[in-house]
Amino acid sequence: MPRNRSLKLLTLVVVFALLFISLTGCARKAEDTPTPTPTVEKVATAVPPTPVPTPEEVATAVPPTAAPTEPPPEPEETSITIAVLQDPPSFNGTVTDTGYELMVQELVLLGLADIDPWGNIFPELAAELPTVENGGVVIDEDEWTMDVTWKLRDDVYWSDGEPVTADDVVFTWNAVSDPEMGIWAPGADYTGSAERIDEYTVVFHYTGVYPAYLYQFGGESGPHIWPEHYCDAEQGFTAWDANQEPLSNGPYLLKEWVHGDHLTFVRNPDYFEEGKPYIDKIIIKVVPDPAVLHAMMLEGDADVEMWVSEMYLAEYQDAPNVNVTFSPYGRWVMRLIPNLAKRGSIDPAEPHPILADVKVRQAIRMAIDVDTITEEIFYGYPDTVWTEMFRPPYDVCDISRPKYDPEGAKALLVEAGWTDEDGDGVRECHGCPNAEEGYPMSMEFAIYAEYGEELELAQQLIAENLEAIGFDLKLEKIQGSIMWDSYEAGGLEQIGDFDLNMWDDGYPGLDPSDSLWSFYYSEAAEPDWGWNVGRWMNEDASYYIDECYCLDEEYRQEVFCELAKILDEEVPQILLFTAIDADAYSTRVEGVQATINDIVTWNVADWKIVE
Amino acid sequence: MCWGDGLAVPPHIHSIGGDVGRYVVRRSLQAIPMLLLISVVLFALVNIAPGGPLAGYGRSRRMKPQKAEMLKRQFGLDKPLPVQYVVWLIGNDWMRVDADGDGIAESYGTRKGILRGDFGFSFRTRRPVLGEIMDRLPNTVYLMSVTFAVVFILAIPIGMISAVRQYSFFDIAVTTFSFAGQAIPEFWLGLILILVFYTGLESPFTGQPFLPSGGMYTLEADFSLWDRIRHLILPVAAQALGWIAWYSRFLRSSMLDVIHQDYIRTARAKGLRERTVLSRHALKNALIPLVTMFAVDLPYLFTGAVFIEMVFSWPGMGRLYYQAALQRDYPMLMATLVITAGIIISSSLLADIAYAFLDPRIHYD
Repeated sequence: MPRNRSLKLLTLVVVFALLFISLTGCARKAEDTPTPTPTVEKVATAVPPTPVPTPEEVATAVPPTAAPTEPPPEPEETSITIAVLQDPPSFNGTVTDTGYELMVQELVLLGLADIDPWGNIFPELAAELPTVENGGVVIDEDEWTMDVTWKLRDDVYWSDGEPVTADDVVFTWNAVSDPEMGIWAPGADYTGSAERIDEYTVVFHYTGVYPAYLYQFGGESGPHIWPEHYCDAEQGFTAWDANQEPLSNGPYLLKEWVHGDHLTFVRNPDYFEEGKPYIDKIIIKVVPDPAVLHAMMLEGDADVEMWVSEMYLAEYQDAPNVNVTFSPYGRWVMRLIPNLAKRGSIDPAEPHPILADVKVRQAIRMAIDVDTITEEIFYGYPDTVWTEMFRPPYDVCDISRPKYDPEGAKALLVEAGWTDEDGDGVRECHGCPNAEEGYPMSMEFAIYAEYGEELELAQQLIAENLEAIGFDLKLEKIQGSIMWDSYEAGGLEQIGDFDLNMWDDGYPGLDPSDSLWSFYYSEAAEPDWGWNVGRWMNEDASYYIDECYCLDEEYRQEVFCELAKILDEEVPQILLFTAIDADAYSTRVEGVQATINDIVTWNVADWKIVE
Repeated sequence: MCWGDGLAVPPHIHSIGGDVGRYVVRRSLQAIPMLLLISVVLFALVNIAPGGPLAGYGRSRRMKPQKAEMLKRQFGLDKPLPVQYVVWLIGNDWMRVDADGDGIAESYGTRKGILRGDFGFSFRTRRPVLGEIMDRLPNTVYLMSVTFAVVFILAIPIGMISAVRQYSFFDIAVTTFSFAGQAIPEFWLGLILILVFYTGLESPFTGQPFLPSGGMYTLEADFSLWDRIRHLILPVAAQALGWIAWYSRFLRSSMLDVIHQDYIRTARAKGLRERTVLSRHALKNALIPLVTMFAVDLPYLFTGAVFIEMVFSWPGMGRLYYQAALQRDYPMLMATLVITAGIIISSSLLADIAYAFLDPRIHYD
């Protein structure tokens, strides 16, 4: 029957088409696999000090079959999956800072030194940490400059067998500081040049004294060391192919990167720490939907999740197969940024009608019920914070926590000349220093949109607190990219177009100097120069910030405490609490520890499987 | 009559005579200025939109100004917008640029511009934009092809039976299903499917989740066709539901128009079997309007579906575009938008040609 034949033919065509489509899709893995081929090929073709198998060989090694006696069974390959929300942009954590590139960077690249979650600095490529005491740091008291000498280990090799030397360190610094294709990195403002002394010794000449020099090349945002013989200097630090296809000197080798889907790493058999890493294979799987990622953790299809939100923490803590690790200290401090200058002006001499008065800022601080916010909205996880010196080693200042005191706040506002004479619930200026008579205490209160629902709820609760003492607030939610864009591009904070904003920020590592400079130094109020967007001008504070650029720890503590007192009295920002820094991991994995000083994979070589 | 009421014939195809080749060339030439105009508008919109690529470059988002300045120079964002557009279009390898920020334009640029096939590099990854697109495009075509195949395999018989058995239980059930299918958001349905088939149900044989939560295949596993199919089931189902509903409703309406035409009555009067009348005479003509619909949907084959790719961790074009939009990755955004515009224009042309091919009464000018 012709009709039946046609139907059958059609059915066959459809079936074959579907099969073909499926097979075409299947073939993609093989086609896509060798994205990072140069790395893999280099591993395979170079002559290392000990024969380095290619990742494929590592993965598919077969014991000899002709052995006279039966070989002992090969230990089963161990593997874990880290689920992430985004593909890492690259392996270069100095160019971008999304966290995902830092995560993969830690797997393949070492720095000179790194810093653990408790603030202990430990050497990686360095043979020892240079200090004033061991002669590694020499300060010129007259010029106020310093030289730091790093001695490198001589037993660390790139995965193609080349040794990691001082040439790589000098090359890295020259590439970073290249004005054309380099990038600003922490400490760049103080670092003059790098000089090779011998194969394993390099000296950095500083143009000032930089307290965070120990983790300037390592840690979270400091450049790690890149191979001179592998990276294309002409392409430049920010754009060289090595950012996508790195040569490893770290615990793992990149085997495969299927963009947007996953990355596969295999252990580096020549990693300098004997016997490490313990886990044979790490897969980083991109799962863009947080709810799905959460489900995968609970189902055991993912072993590690970075930056768990408060919402999921409680559920993970009840799950039998998931552990949660918290950073010992908080970093991201949620804070209110009052604009002390007139809205729309960048001139600190033009005062904001409401917020320029320190009594008003103090009243705002007194009126906010921080405990209720942390308990009710953030599930009790955050720590309350009221001073910038809240974590070691500078948590030694005697700054007492402000009391939640709405009545006291009202009294302060009356003292500042803000009363509600027309009885509408909103205070007006009656004798206040910076506004016309009758000016209402109305202003805008904005948060950034990306944080999510919790911040919106916190905004509403704070607004209720402030409205209870006579403020009239217009709540706004603004995209961070608009709020924080440059002055030239019309970024709302840089151009001064805001009243009161709320966001979180903080610094990694031990040294708050740069962060304090950016937030509170007078010059940092210049557009596109820093983030003193509240335009707070205080000579004493600027003096103390200048003074903290030294290496005398006792003196630094004194200086920071003096600064903390000024900040406590003047309230240029109102600090509220630290956002949590927590990671989740499967109970079959051991050694995962959240940190604010680096990223979850900071100690990946120490992770173990415990079945 | 093949055309029912309300099934519009494109007005520019009405006249008789003409030649397909000439028509295609003419339409293609018309598309060039249109694409140029679209690119100007898109470039302006993308760049004028609040926020910039640097603000989303790091976690603290408050980038050190020195770093921002270097990045802007490297990206060419330090130039006026019209200059940026010219560079995007025709490159800058013919003009001197100030690459190191010393105020002196000392070297020639390296960009060739899209007219010479250089779509630039992604601000986020620094990889060539075309390379990134080619990484993702096959995955999207793969998913969407299967989805469309499933849609047509199911929607055509559903729509046909629904029309033939108008107001039957089947028709009412399909109508209800159609409204639901069109109303349910894809991302919500996707999450529900994951909740049921991944976290809820277990395979009785392995004790593992009944279906995977996402991805294209099981990582580190040997190739298996069944594994590929398992990974397709949920994203295809979540995506196809709405389309099946839409296409089947449309076919039902089209069939109802056709089966009441005189020539169908004539076919029946000639003694043809009902199945023959429906499949060879009615369905063939009722399917013609679907060509237009498919032409409108054809760009999805290449652009993908953002929410489905997000929920099911599918590394396709939709996610690439979404991420580029969130992070203001201008070169990536421009490339995806302009390519999409080109595909839409091509689809429209294809639809016009297909119309005339299917309906002999239509000729090209």
